[in-house]
Amino acid sequence: MSAEAELSTVLRPRGGKSAPPEAHVLPPVPWGRISRLADDALPWLLPFSLLALWFAGAEQGWISPQVLPPPQFVWETLRDLASSGDLWLHVSASLTRVGVGFAAGAVIGLALGSAMGLSRNFETYVLPTFNALVQIPVLAWLPFVLLIVGIGEPLKYILIAKAALVPVAVNTLQGFRQTPVTLREVGEVYGYSRRQQVLEIVLPHAVPTLFTGVRLGFTKAWLSLVVVELVASSEGLGYLIVYGRQLFQLDLVMAAVIVVGAIGYAIDRVLERLETAVHRSRPGASAR
Amino acid sequence: MTTATRDAAERAAVRPLRPAGRSRWRGLVLPVAAVGLWWLLALLDVVNSALLVSPFKVIGTMIDQVMSGRLWRALSASLAREAAGFLIGTVSGLVLGALLGLWPLFNRIVGPSFNTFKQISLFAWIPLISVWFGLGDVAKVVFLSLAALVPVVVNTCDGIRTTPVGLLEVARVYGFTRWQIVTQVVLPAALPSIFTGVYLALIYSWLATIGAEYLLVAGRGIGNTLIEGSEHFQMDLVIFGMFVIGLVGWLMNASARALERRLARWAGHS
Amino acid sequence: MSTFHSIVRRWAARLAAVALLAAAAVPAQAAPEIIRIGVATAGGGDPVTWGGSPGAVARVNNWLEDEFKPLGIQVEWLFFKGAGPAVNEALSNKQIDFAYQGDLPKIVGRSNGLKTKVLLVSGARNNLYLVTPPKSEIGSIKDLKDHTVSIFRGTNGHLVAINLLAAHGLAERDIKGVNLDTGSAQAALVSNGVDAAFGGYEWFKVRDQGLAKVVYSTQGQDPAFTRQAALLVRTDFEQSNPAEVQRVVDVFVRAARWASDEKNREALFGIWARSGTPVASWAAEFDQQQLAVRNSPLVDDFIIGRYKAVVADALKLKLIRREVSIDGWFDTRYLDNALKKQGLENYWTAYDAKGNPKAGPLVAEK
Repeated sequence: MSAEAELSTVLRPRGGKSAPPEAHVLPPVPWGRISRLADDALPWLLPFSLLALWFAGAEQGWISPQVLPPPQFVWETLRDLASSGDLWLHVSASLTRVGVGFAAGAVIGLALGSAMGLSRNFETYVLPTFNALVQIPVLAWLPFVLLIVGIGEPLKYILIAKAALVPVAVNTLQGFRQTPVTLREVGEVYGYSRRQQVLEIVLPHAVPTLFTGVRLGFTKAWLSLVVVELVASSEGLGYLIVYGRQLFQLDLVMAAVIVVGAIGYAIDRVLERLETAVHRSRPGASAR
Repeated sequence: MTTATRDAAERAAVRPLRPAGRSRWRGLVLPVAAVGLWWLLALLDVVNSALLVSPFKVIGTMIDQVMSGRLWRALSASLAREAAGFLIGTVSGLVLGALLGLWPLFNRIVGPSFNTFKQISLFAWIPLISVWFGLGDVAKVVFLSLAALVPVVVNTCDGIRTTPVGLLEVARVYGFTRWQIVTQVVLPAALPSIFTGVYLALIYSWLATIGAEYLLVAGRGIGNTLIEGSEHFQMDLVIFGMFVIGLVGWLMNASARALERRLARWAGHS
Repeated sequence: MSTFHSIVRRWAARLAAVALLAAAAVPAQAAPEIIRIGVATAGGGDPVTWGGSPGAVARVNNWLEDEFKPLGIQVEWLFFKGAGPAVNEALSNKQIDFAYQGDLPKIVGRSNGLKTKVLLVSGARNNLYLVTPPKSEIGSIKDLKDHTVSIFRGTNGHLVAINLLAAHGLAERDIKGVNLDTGSAQAALVSNGVDAAFGGYEWFKVRDQGLAKVVYSTQGQDPAFTRQAALLVRTDFEQSNPAEVQRVVDVFVRAARWASDEKNREALFGIWARSGTPVASWAAEFDQQQLAVRNSPLVDDFIIGRYKAVVADALKLKLIRREVSIDGWFDTRYLDNALKKQGLENYWTAYDAKGNPKAGPLVAEK
């Protein structure tokens, strides 16, 4: 049994539920179905009650509209954005930025991580510097890069790439390091060439970890996209947030935040599915 | 396994992967070469000189900032804010994480919403935070608390839920009460993860401190030093600021790791 | 470290204050212990001050502090890098009582339900300029099409910029507008990050360093292309502390009187220069303009007309969502009292909606 299941049995209150009384006339209540439905509905309980609270608060006037616009307002704004085509404009601008930045960062991260993983020498020279530069957050890089490349698109690509690069490189290196020693020894015994070793032993074992790194890299890239757009841009979701803030249009801010959350969540789920598939297909997958 | 490797990258910020090679000195080759190249370029005036300041100028600025006390004022302002946010965020994160880990019903209700919440960059909430809490220190502390809270919740919950099954079985066999199981089995087993969460909280709240100085009202702070440098084209100030920020982050890591080693030894963990 | 302690102390006090405020609606206090004035610009210098408004004269000379010291009331000046929009956020949180702010952000705040009253004008007919890097090919506003232009959104410059674009046949969509605050805009333009920028007097320093050129100026044009700034107060503060409000207005009127006297021109620029913007920039901004016109506190037909126009434009451009009435917003009782007390009823000229003097040129004494 998984730890979670164990935990839940251990922690659930002792003593079973009393069985429902015999029903003579009415058909038996489908407790099973109901409890399953209820269980599926649970995750929605919190968001819906928050929404109801928000609605009531705006309606009753507990919250002034300048502090928290009524949900209908936010919905209308979202609709307006969608129908006027503005939403697509901003979403595509953001997605393009994150796409380019993430791709660049992932490629460089993979290259860097593999180089460090495959060559001890390279690792010795590069890793300490890499570790040091990683300590400096994206936001701290911003003024530096800003002074060098200005506020155009390259600034955003570079910063997003930096954000994506770190987890990818680290996980790639980790992946290359974690080849089980036994397999490597087997390869040596069989006289595998270096190339064969890498391609047939090291790489397949590294791929799942690599992919996890890529997934984490995307999360970081998406998070830093908003930050970067908040600072200087002329379109994009972060730009919408700034615009809304400057003009005190909190409904616009909330609408943009909702879109950011939704897209980030959706893409992460896709990557999660892929990641599970990759993990399952790992050769000789052993439960760790 | 997925969880463990997913967090590997997070942990790298906390426990950087050590190069397996021999000489420590080799690691310095690259930075020294880079600085040398930088100095050469500055000397030869090859690039737009307003932006390319010589390394000596940066060192000079560094000395000036330290001696004039400006560095300490800025740093202490930033750190004070971070301390408050970090403490609040960590404590509430521990509580929330424990609830999520120990109470399945709570997890079903709150878990998915929290997972969605952490997908949204905290910086996106800044306009709302500034309207709800103003632009002063209260807003900054709220923001920092949120930044610290997320990793603590994730790692605490994770640590609790990955308690080795064997230990739980043993506890059940011995007839431990629920309270005993939680305090004597689950929590100690979760401790490493919780520590990881707390380190990450430290780092994230430090990053958030810098971010807050960008996006909420100015005041004193090391982030503001960076911004002023950027606005006045003082590249030396910018580089100096970056260096300080990175250094502080690294120091936090190092001291937290040292603390963990000491505590682990005391608690009898490996 | 004093800073550390003061920050922690300040934070603890604020947190406690917020908690108390959240618990119950705060009724009006008897007399405030501290009066907070928010200024919609980052300012500069040490102590921080700003320029371009007579209010700065009061700030530098500590007239407000002196006025309230015998009453045991402190005065705190807060400067906002985020300009007008940031001041709105502070007002909505009741973090400041008075605000020096531009016309558009004031209107945005009002349309969002901020309850305020405008007391007097404190910097009229501020100019807007279009600047470009020195070697730029952009020679006029028409050339801006499809270029990246820095605009500080939500400030009074924003609307004037859009009106200027419209007057030259362009809409905001025809340019790539980037929102940058004053400092960031300068950094961006100088490093060629943006092709052009709309801004104010802060650009003269950059121009004098040879790092930018001014391509267009609203000086000498239709005064409808200028922006106004005024002092306002939160309504609940005003209702519970009318005496204090009167005193503040008295001081501002005194400062306006001093700042309108051409004899004080050099001294005025010197005071404003303490914010970091040099005297030469002020001379350029006020070139061939009378101090008495720019620094007049009167809420005359020109001002009212401008605010009405800003409302109409903002509505048209969807910068505000609802129509906003400015009736009853300007509370000139305090101003009239101050003028009477200081014998200045006829000192300044009132202007009509077009910006022309009304009843004959009653110009301030030279």
